[in-house]
Amino acid sequence: MRVERQDAEGWLTVVAVSGELDAYTAPELRTALQEAMDGGAAFLVADLTGVEYIDSVGLGILVAAAKRAAAAGGALSVASATPTVTKVFQISGTHELLGLQPTLQESREFLASRRQENAASDS
Amino acid sequence: MPQVTPEADLVELRLPCKAKYIAVARLAVSGIAARLGLTLDDVEDLKVAVSEACTNVIDHAFGACAPEQCMTLRCWAREGELRVEVVDAGCGFEAAEPPANRLQAAQPRGLGLFLIRELMDEVQVISSVGSGTTIAMVKRVSEEQEPQ
Repeated sequence: MRVERQDAEGWLTVVAVSGELDAYTAPELRTALQEAMDGGAAFLVADLTGVEYIDSVGLGILVAAAKRAAAAGGALSVASATPTVTKVFQISGTHELLGLQPTLQESREFLASRRQENAASDS
Repeated sequence: MPQVTPEADLVELRLPCKAKYIAVARLAVSGIAARLGLTLDDVEDLKVAVSEACTNVIDHAFGACAPEQCMTLRCWAREGELRVEVVDAGCGFEAAEPPANRLQAAQPRGLGLFLIRELMDEVQVISSVGSGTTIAMVKRVSEEQEPQ
């Protein structure tokens, strides 16, 4: 599994993951997400373009990150999940909580919209 | 427990109870399933279910009561159907009712077992304190499979 973090847009952090997310590999994703949020990131995309497989361990890590981001006034969006991975989100009923979007660009737009809404409700 | 058909081939694999071997269980099951006429979707369902069963063993099966930390993967293969058992000789537990909904599935063991039950055609969990646990599951060729 490979995890890459990009903070190119200032307010948005993209964590790109590839490979298989199970009990052996998923802790690397947990660390990347936690480090990003420890560093102040509140709006995060988990780009799963290269993820071939996910089980409840990987799912639990994404759900925990989504809840932590929401508690910090931000949000998480999962981008580009394959049909196999999407099925696990749908069966577990987590697809809405995880802000599932078909592409990275749509995740960016989704989070930009959430950010505006949050800013409007704060003012 | 789901019935084993007499003409089924048995493939048995004994694995150390460590997370790095979950992928080996997945590979074994998907390799066998691909030879039985199961669809790619069926194979993906099997991979998730077997991983969840193995993760359950690693997370919950062992402790001071059961020092030997291995799990056995048994696959009973016949055309159009694969029955998989994930067996441990661990501490076991008092079998509870399976999670009926997603809220209950949030409990320990719950989400993994919930996914297994959603993805497989037949599932049985046999466990008692001190005797270990067997998760037995069956996947059959999807009826709505499109003609090849």
